[in-house]
Amino acid sequence: MTQTPAVASKTALKTATELDSRRARLRSDIRLAARVLPTHYPLGTFIAVNPLAGLQNMPFEQAIRRAGDLYGSCGTLPESTFRSLYDQGRITDADLDKALTRRYPNLLDEPPLQVGGRRLAATELLRADLLHGATIPDPLRRNRIRCEEVAPEVADTVDAQSAKWSAAFLGEAGWPMPGREGGFYSAWRDLAPTDRSLPRAVRAELRATAMRPDDAVLAGLDALGVAEDMQLTYLQAHLTRLPGWAAHVQWRADREPGINLLQYLAMRLSYESALLTHHRGGPADDALQQAGWLEPPVARDRAAHLLTVLGMAEATEAEMPTVARILAALPVPARAMIWQNAFEGHYHDQLLTDLSSHQRIAPVQAHTQLVTCIDTRSEGLRRHLEARGEYETFGFAGFFAVAIAFTDLLAGAPAQLCPVLISASHDISEEPAPESGSIAVRRVAGATRLAGAESAFHAAKESMAGPFALAEAAGWVAAPLSAAKTMSPSAIGGLRRRLRNLISPAAPTVLTVDSMPLTERVLFAQATLKTIGLTRDFGRLLVLCGHESSSENNPYQASLDCGACGGQGGGPNARTAAVILNQIEVRDELRRSGIDIPGHTVVIAALHDTTTDQVTVLDTHLIPPSHRTDVDRLNTDLVHAGRALAAERCDILPGAARRRSPTNAARHVAGRSVDWAQVYPEWGLAGNAAFIIGPRELTRGIDLQRRTFLHSYGADVDLDGTALETILTAPLVVAQWINCQYYFSTVAPEVFGAGTKTIHNVVGNVGVMAGHVGDLRLGLPQQSVRHGDQLLHEPQRLLAVIEAPLERIDTVIERNPILQQLFGNDWVTVAAREHPGQPWRRWTRTGWRDWTETDCPSVVYNKEMI
Amino acid sequence: MTPTLTKMTKVEVVVRGDEAPAVRELIGSVGATGYTSLSGVSGLGHNGYHQGRLLFNQQATLELIITVVPNARVEALLAGLRPLLDASSGVLFVTETYVSRPDYFS
Repeated sequence: MTQTPAVASKTALKTATELDSRRARLRSDIRLAARVLPTHYPLGTFIAVNPLAGLQNMPFEQAIRRAGDLYGSCGTLPESTFRSLYDQGRITDADLDKALTRRYPNLLDEPPLQVGGRRLAATELLRADLLHGATIPDPLRRNRIRCEEVAPEVADTVDAQSAKWSAAFLGEAGWPMPGREGGFYSAWRDLAPTDRSLPRAVRAELRATAMRPDDAVLAGLDALGVAEDMQLTYLQAHLTRLPGWAAHVQWRADREPGINLLQYLAMRLSYESALLTHHRGGPADDALQQAGWLEPPVARDRAAHLLTVLGMAEATEAEMPTVARILAALPVPARAMIWQNAFEGHYHDQLLTDLSSHQRIAPVQAHTQLVTCIDTRSEGLRRHLEARGEYETFGFAGFFAVAIAFTDLLAGAPAQLCPVLISASHDISEEPAPESGSIAVRRVAGATRLAGAESAFHAAKESMAGPFALAEAAGWVAAPLSAAKTMSPSAIGGLRRRLRNLISPAAPTVLTVDSMPLTERVLFAQATLKTIGLTRDFGRLLVLCGHESSSENNPYQASLDCGACGGQGGGPNARTAAVILNQIEVRDELRRSGIDIPGHTVVIAALHDTTTDQVTVLDTHLIPPSHRTDVDRLNTDLVHAGRALAAERCDILPGAARRRSPTNAARHVAGRSVDWAQVYPEWGLAGNAAFIIGPRELTRGIDLQRRTFLHSYGADVDLDGTALETILTAPLVVAQWINCQYYFSTVAPEVFGAGTKTIHNVVGNVGVMAGHVGDLRLGLPQQSVRHGDQLLHEPQRLLAVIEAPLERIDTVIERNPILQQLFGNDWVTVAAREHPGQPWRRWTRTGWRDWTETDCPSVVYNKEMI
Repeated sequence: MTPTLTKMTKVEVVVRGDEAPAVRELIGSVGATGYTSLSGVSGLGHNGYHQGRLLFNQQATLELIITVVPNARVEALLAGLRPLLDASSGVLFVTETYVSRPDYFS
């Protein structure tokens, strides 16, 4: 029976709609699958992120286990490392007992056990298990693609091909990928069938892939027999095979056309389907079995092992079940979290005790107020500067509330100088100052010549025949120069700087902010001053001090710059904010809102180089003669503070002699910053562990060891909680990203860390690969978190310490789901009190508890979860 | 004279700012010719109160995205939107609407 034209048309329409629906559903599934991918920023704007941000809707413990299934990654340090920390006294019995009883409050009611003639408390038994129990292997990836299960070598081929074509498309190679302008999938589809490294049958199969990438993915899923309800999980398994490339493609897709995850997956699934179809060879042994994955030991075996270790092998058969029953409460895979909680608890308790017990230093009438970034490295600078006398310091996000797109004098592409949580709202350009005369012209011309020479040198290096000619023409000078740079980096660094200044001299410039409406300028000024609680008692100088880092030959330079300025130096933001705060019309408006900046206060900008600890006052030509003496005093004190900080840092910098004099230390760190062979220019934010929100009196005088973000806050000038809400929903969120970036780069370096810098190959501005092939590396390099076997970053989740009314904190949390997620799911611990002298309280989902109270159980997950 | 109106479907979606790119991509993929979006919306919903505009965080606030599509494209759009909303907090409204210049929307 034939269909009538009307029925046929209806059927075709229905089929077309079904296909469209399937395609749309596929796009959603890809988006959802990609949630588990970290965000991967390009090297030039490296921003610290929580690689497990997509799992933040889960409790931390559950999220790391899920990540283990997806990536085969560890979620904490190994138990052996925790045991070493215990041996060093960094984790004590008391810390372990507190962690155990917080998780299992019933342990306190458990009567002591009689084992082998000895009395043993339940917590003692579990503690012994933590210390001596047999460990289990690291997690293995369980969510796997078909070929991973049946033919791992095919999975490796799919990965190798995917990495090759991704690098070809994204890597800014000297020879662009043919057909690149038509988009990734189209270019790949044209080229892949010509790849002679693949068998002929596979190439024929690839030649027949669908024109549309969504149809290619659907065809691949059908060919591999993936049911529709398993589609998302399967796509996730593909994305997590090479998370670096997948994460970068996802980042790129939301910013420019050409490539997206749909096209990337179309390539992967087409390869997998074609290669498996023509794969010869038997099924592989199960990878889990191959890797020796074992079920954790049962409680009875654990009991027997433990009693032997404790020298209580004479325990009777009747006593064994009791021991096993207690041990069963703490499954082996859950032990690592007890260690983690105890490790963090040790630091938390110590920090809160220090904050409670130190004598508050009454605020002095300061001649200079210095506002730095909240960055942990600023804590050292503030501490040393305050020790010089009448200085008052504050912490605020280093973009100083001005989210700008900045174009410098050389007029390149504007830099987005603001946290990635927001978009730049104003274009700010640098113009020659009226008094700059011909210097500005010389600067631009010189910089253009230098950039041209550099560009020509690199182009010659990367072209086909150029390197031969280059070696002939420039080898005689390049070789000795390279040797000199290696042997004497400081001298060559100084020479290069002088040459650069000669060719392209620094010129006085100004920033024009008139394009910003007055209301917005006033809003920026208010946001900064009210949030940090600086509304009166202004000194003669108010210094806005941004920060940047200088290092050579360092693809991870941006990770050392200011995160609040989009991974770039914070100088332009500080300069812009200083201009605004010096404007008479802005001060008039501020006065109406109760912020009276007196006429004798001059706002200046400065820049802290965190590698050298030198602080440079910017725009000195704008400083009025009346304040030159104040700035001279500031410069002197900043030099002393910087040298003292450099000496402090030298204690932990690899290769730096301990107990250097401040002057020698300053010389040493300056040398590191120009040494192209130095893989440890500075430690960045390693060690970060807490975020303190409160007035400086809370922390002034305490050596916080550059481990804390310090955000100034005055609860008494923020009655409606607006400033607190701003701090908790932006700087704290970014600090938590940084904290998690360091955490996971340390505990799971294979997946979420970038490995050693010494074998890195830079792929354009995209990222780095370890060696010449493979995945883009995520996270921070090994040299950012450890030196040899020594952990320089101790991975601990962030502790937020807040001095503010508890009801106000509750109100802010209640109206911001992101905070409920961070605090309620144990990604951040919150300790707070309203006034000095009061005991610290712990925020929990069920209300505030005394900090020391152990009877406030943390969430316990059922056995299946753990 | 009253202009001739054409019946179409209006789809309104409220999602977190960081989910908005996924919704916008989906709208484009089913052939919708455009959308209107409104950031920093506040309100009370299934997951409690959502704060509106935050000073320095545009990702955590809610965004309202509105599009109008010919009826033939609704099914595909909803097929894609549904799983996104099942996996995150957000709401979806689908209503009949009338437009005077249908060529703008198809």
